[in-house]
Amino acid sequence: MKGYSGRFLKVDLTSGSTSFYEPDHDYYQRFVGGAGLAARIFLEHGDFEALPLAPEALLIFSLGPFAGLHLSGASRFSAAARSPLTGHWADSSCGGNFAPELRYAGFDGIIVSGAADSPSILIIKDLEAKIESCPELWGQGVESTTSILKERFGQSFKILAIGPAGENLVKFSCIMNDGHSAFGRTGLGAVMGSKKLKAIVLKASKKTFDVQDPENCKRLVSDLNNRTKESVTLGVMRENGTAANLEGGVHLGDVPIRNFTSNFWEEMAEALTGSTLSETFLVRRANCAFCNVACKRIVQIDDGPYAISRGPGPEYETIAAFGSLLGSKDLAATCKAGRVCNDLGMDTISCGSTIAWAIEAFEKGDLGLTDTEDLTLTWGEMTTVIDLIPLIAHRKGKLGRLLAEGSVSAAKRTGGDSASYTVHAKGLEAPMHDPRGGGHGLALTYAISHRGACHVFSPMLFMEMGACYYPEIGFDLELEPMSSDNKPEAAVVAVALGALENSACMCQFADREITIPEWVELFNCVAGMNWNIEDMMKTGRRIFYLQRLVNHGFGVCAKDDAVSSRLLAPATDGAPEGIEINFEEMKRRFYELMDLDPISGMPSAQVILDHDLATETAGVMGDLPCRGQEFFDQALSRSD
Amino acid sequence: MEFWKDETEPIKAFLALFENAKKDPELSEGLKKVNQLIWFDYSEDGPNCSFHVDCRNGEIKVGVGKPEDQPDLTMSLSADDAHRSWSNKLNPVMAITRKKIRVKGSATGLLKLAPKLKRVASIYGDTLREMGWENKIIA
Ligand code: SF4
Repeated sequence: MKGYSGRFLKVDLTSGSTSFYEPDHDYYQRFVGGAGLAARIFLEHGDFEALPLAPEALLIFSLGPFAGLHLSGASRFSAAARSPLTGHWADSSCGGNFAPELRYAGFDGIIVSGAADSPSILIIKDLEAKIESCPELWGQGVESTTSILKERFGQSFKILAIGPAGENLVKFSCIMNDGHSAFGRTGLGAVMGSKKLKAIVLKASKKTFDVQDPENCKRLVSDLNNRTKESVTLGVMRENGTAANLEGGVHLGDVPIRNFTSNFWEEMAEALTGSTLSETFLVRRANCAFCNVACKRIVQIDDGPYAISRGPGPEYETIAAFGSLLGSKDLAATCKAGRVCNDLGMDTISCGSTIAWAIEAFEKGDLGLTDTEDLTLTWGEMTTVIDLIPLIAHRKGKLGRLLAEGSVSAAKRTGGDSASYTVHAKGLEAPMHDPRGGGHGLALTYAISHRGACHVFSPMLFMEMGACYYPEIGFDLELEPMSSDNKPEAAVVAVALGALENSACMCQFADREITIPEWVELFNCVAGMNWNIEDMMKTGRRIFYLQRLVNHGFGVCAKDDAVSSRLLAPATDGAPEGIEINFEEMKRRFYELMDLDPISGMPSAQVILDHDLATETAGVMGDLPCRGQEFFDQALSRSD
Repeated sequence: MEFWKDETEPIKAFLALFENAKKDPELSEGLKKVNQLIWFDYSEDGPNCSFHVDCRNGEIKVGVGKPEDQPDLTMSLSADDAHRSWSNKLNPVMAITRKKIRVKGSATGLLKLAPKLKRVASIYGDTLREMGWENKIIA
């Protein structure tokens, strides 16, 4: 089998042992890698009864087939586990430089189970792996952990590390690669923290791996790299980062303002947009390994309350989550907040969203001064917000402890009307794209996503923007963002493509330039899949169904495919003002097109047969009831 | 061409549009922020079917044909699609993705103009009316 290594590293932190695991070849062909393969491996090795932060829980890092290619956008990988934030199956994607190194070392991923007695690090050098105790690193921020480890092992070692938030089991803590790229979403840093695994240190001696058809692969990679280099849209991202079109987004009503209560704020648009960052604090552009898009930012702020040294700068999600969402148009504050979150190891989206919820709760009187221990929470008051971030990471004080649970759990504990202004799907705080302006199809894909509200679960955002055109698979629709027309049909294509992107671990920015026939060619010439277009699309759908099956094992049913009412309430200002989202009809039609049961949310027997999922289904479905919200509440409170 | 009798008509309309846009405080400010020399190339509809806008150095100058200086940005499309675009009836991202608009150079400046497309469309409608070309307005 070419492309892949055919080998995962298995690490049992309880016994301190490591071993190799070789997945069935058939898993690679049917589930590709990344998020898809991780879900399949969970079915083989995982336990549905294990709580997210229990030693028996698995944390799976999984590469796609393209990791290690010198191809723009190919250096991402997935981490997957039962999420401590949502209680069900989750995966998250990270760029940076770790994935190619892991492939060169000879692995397709790492499966971590058990929990160490004391803080530990995992050291991988080629095929050798060992666990070492590291009490001195516990409590250190991501920045210092990364630099101490690089100092000790060598600057060329690649590091994955958690910060104090992961150690303290903050429900939205993340895992950072070399201090700049993150497995941001769904709280996987807490899973690593529960296992007392502070960091993974990695080095490979060789820098190559075998592909099926080297000559064609070389030509295709070169063509695609030339295209990403010349692409107008990616050129804009290179110049001004992922926030390049924030200003345009504000005018469309896509950028959330004050906890999604407003869809338009003109002065904020220019203050926070990517070109303003370029003109003010940007000192350098940066990239994930081998990517010529280079959308990452290096910033420096010399003075003022938000001064920061030269280092990683915010991307779009962070700018909006610590800007408009909190009622602030202070770009320097977003840079500072992003840097503090990175160092403490917290997802900026869920952190900003949970703080936005708290500000609204304070404004509405659901949280009072007793709850905040005399802290006044106000829209746009960024010094307070930045002081609050470490309290959350360290679970300090009443408010820090409450917000460390994420907005949905915090609202449950707070009571009153406070659940009505949480903004999420399946317990995962919504990213910084408001479906009311960004596109009604996003409301549907947030809802049907196995991991919860996520903009990279599928390319729907780009489809509604007009940035996708795939006539070879029948997607030549000209979508109108602020309408539900054709969105279920678009979602059918989107979920399959999204599953492929997240399993091949390709960056959704850089891969916009790849045509459908080129996707097929890439899979064939790298991994010898021997696919045609329909084989590939069927594989995408199979992965989508598999992830639903796994979620069903955790009790997720059709009624959980929903979004918060705030995301569906007609906007009160901006371009989407007064427009209704026809969510239920979109969902009904999508279920019909995908042949999903309206109660269980599971695929029909015919779909299971057509997609060769009988074994996986038998392993999950049994007589499992829809266990619903009570089950999650119980699971989450037991995982504290 | 669906909207134009010959290659001179679109250029007349678009030059008049930009002359009117210069008089609009919001749009002229927006154009100055673009700070680029842009060549709008519709030559697929005739060799002389193009014009340029120079919004560098805080000024806005409009002229027929290709500019003498090297343009920062060239947008090549049909005169009909240009008409749809100034009428805010063509999603620019979609048009670029589907290669209806071919762009050379940096489109960063243009992004600054995107939020103003509604305003451009309203001035374009007025311009066409002034020229007696109501029949060309897309409903
Ligand atoms: S486009 Fe940006 S996020 Fe994506 S791989 Fe390239 S540098 Fe990384």
